[in-house]
Amino acid sequence: MRGKSLISHLGPIIMLLAGLAFAWGAVATLDLGTFRRMGPGAFPLLVGGVLTVLAAICLVQNIRSPIGVGPADYIAVLGVIVGVAVFAFFTPRLGVLPATAIAVLATGSAIPDFKWPYRIMLAFGVAISVWLIFVKGLGMPFVAIKGL
Amino acid sequence: MDLLSNLAIGLATAATPVNLMYCFIGVFLGTFIGVLPGVGPLAAVAMLLPVSFYLDPATALVMLAGVYYGAEYGGSIASILLNIPGTPSSSVTCIDGYPMAQQGRAGVALFATSVASFFGAIFGVIVMISLSPLLAEFALLFQPAEYFSVMVLGLIAASIVSSFGVLRGLMMVCLGVLLGTIGVDINTGDTRFTMGIAELRDGISLVVVAMGLFGISEVMVALRGATQSYAGQNLRGRDIYPSWAECRRSFMPALRGSTIGSFFGTLPGTGQTVASFVGYAVEKKVSPNKVEFGKGAIEGVVAPEAANNAAAQTAFIPTLTLGIPGSTTMALMLGALMIHGITPGPRLIADHPDLFWGLVVSFLFGNFFLLVLNIPLIGLWVRLLRVPHYYLYPTVVIMICVGVYGVSNSLTDVWATLAFGILGYVLRLFRFEPAPMLIGFVLGPMMEEYFRRAMLLSRGDPMVFLERPGSAALLTISVGMMLISVIPFKKISANFFKRLRI
Repeated sequence: MRGKSLISHLGPIIMLLAGLAFAWGAVATLDLGTFRRMGPGAFPLLVGGVLTVLAAICLVQNIRSPIGVGPADYIAVLGVIVGVAVFAFFTPRLGVLPATAIAVLATGSAIPDFKWPYRIMLAFGVAISVWLIFVKGLGMPFVAIKGL
Repeated sequence: MDLLSNLAIGLATAATPVNLMYCFIGVFLGTFIGVLPGVGPLAAVAMLLPVSFYLDPATALVMLAGVYYGAEYGGSIASILLNIPGTPSSSVTCIDGYPMAQQGRAGVALFATSVASFFGAIFGVIVMISLSPLLAEFALLFQPAEYFSVMVLGLIAASIVSSFGVLRGLMMVCLGVLLGTIGVDINTGDTRFTMGIAELRDGISLVVVAMGLFGISEVMVALRGATQSYAGQNLRGRDIYPSWAECRRSFMPALRGSTIGSFFGTLPGTGQTVASFVGYAVEKKVSPNKVEFGKGAIEGVVAPEAANNAAAQTAFIPTLTLGIPGSTTMALMLGALMIHGITPGPRLIADHPDLFWGLVVSFLFGNFFLLVLNIPLIGLWVRLLRVPHYYLYPTVVIMICVGVYGVSNSLTDVWATLAFGILGYVLRLFRFEPAPMLIGFVLGPMMEEYFRRAMLLSRGDPMVFLERPGSAALLTISVGMMLISVIPFKKISANFFKRLRI
């Protein structure tokens, strides 16, 4: 229980750091200007300051009565990350359609009870739909399959 | 007379075969998205944003809007049949819709929601037609100080309805505004917070933020729950018509629901979920059949459905006339307009009458499509719910990737979308809701612009925001709204009465 509440402080702490980072960045790297003619740094400093104060209040509240952290599903997160990464990695190397098929397979693998024949079917189906909708239908400038 | 000529302009835009087709595609897709639990209209509009760049602005808006209000129709289907809300705003419909389905009156409930939705939507459109030009004319009197204050009001309203409390909502708004400052400052040309990365000079793209926060992170949440498919009941055609008595009982709730919905839709930041909850609560208070509520009262289905569809239409009023989005989805719609080079605001109706009135007329067409289509298609939607959902999510991931890649032709944006997806997921874990952040991101740059302009006009006197009566009133309302939601009035009054007795 104690460990859990410690983790839940991380949320407000991240926000606090983000607020400080923007406010400090504005002061350190940007011109604040005058009240009359505000420089590029004034507004970020203001909002960053507000965020810092709010996050501090939130942190105090959270220390008094912690809000539970939601359950994380690492396999699902990994499945989606790998899917997108695979798409971004293979598109310049093989073309959009093969990248699509591989990405669908990768994300599909994270879902239990989804049998392999169906996963492969879905991969081909999605690749064909992408070709029909985006390449043929909307005429987006994609390299469908490299070398073709 | 003026109105008729305006509607004629709108008809000329909306009734072209292309626009009619995209309106149809929009409402059909919207219903589809609404039926599926887990994928909301927000994610759907985010995914279609890239596609819309390839279309004419009016066509794009007609389609995106169709998805948006179509989803409100679809959302109630899953609520009634499965007790799982398809969209957040239709969660109230579960309370009476599901008991009706259990009593074998699912068809009646679905028919009633379709008609109530249509009624509410048309009511909302009429409100929009009569109110928008007036509001736009009024808004022409606005000066930068007022604009700034309206945006403050919108942002505070957006954070109040956030499900983890005002404080967390406000923090997300601030974070969104800050992310919006990244890139070149338009007043001075200085780059801000780019950390030397060339891609950040133009700022972070709205498509990337929206797809990451809502598309990718929603799939992460839903992916592994995708194994079960839902079994629905069989429906037969003749079971769907309500009796005459039920029709009569439904009329007043539909009217009350529409009125309440229209009101809440126009408030910036609140949107349909609040509208449908209030619609249900009020109906429960005033209905002569109070005891039946929660056990399958037809009023309990009709009132919230009329309310959320009316709100879906009137939410366009502040979006198009003031440039202040009524909800997160509206913020995306606003972004779509701006990408097409159209600045939403009081001048929109005057400068682009074809766009505005075309959109209004397309609402009428779209809702008519929904009414006519949905009743015969109820069987299809039920069957769709039985298809295992694992086909859906990998497909959604690819649609997002291809969409982002298609807009910018840059894989850097795909990686950035992934980063925002992970950020969105982590923030959700820590109980921060991403929706207010997106509204902050869209409104932030405009807000800064008006803030700086107001300060320039007042010669550096920040009191200008309180001295101008319009701005002062708006800020007072904002502070009041915040206080109402922060101060625990119930506790205070309970303590007060306790003391009185002792």
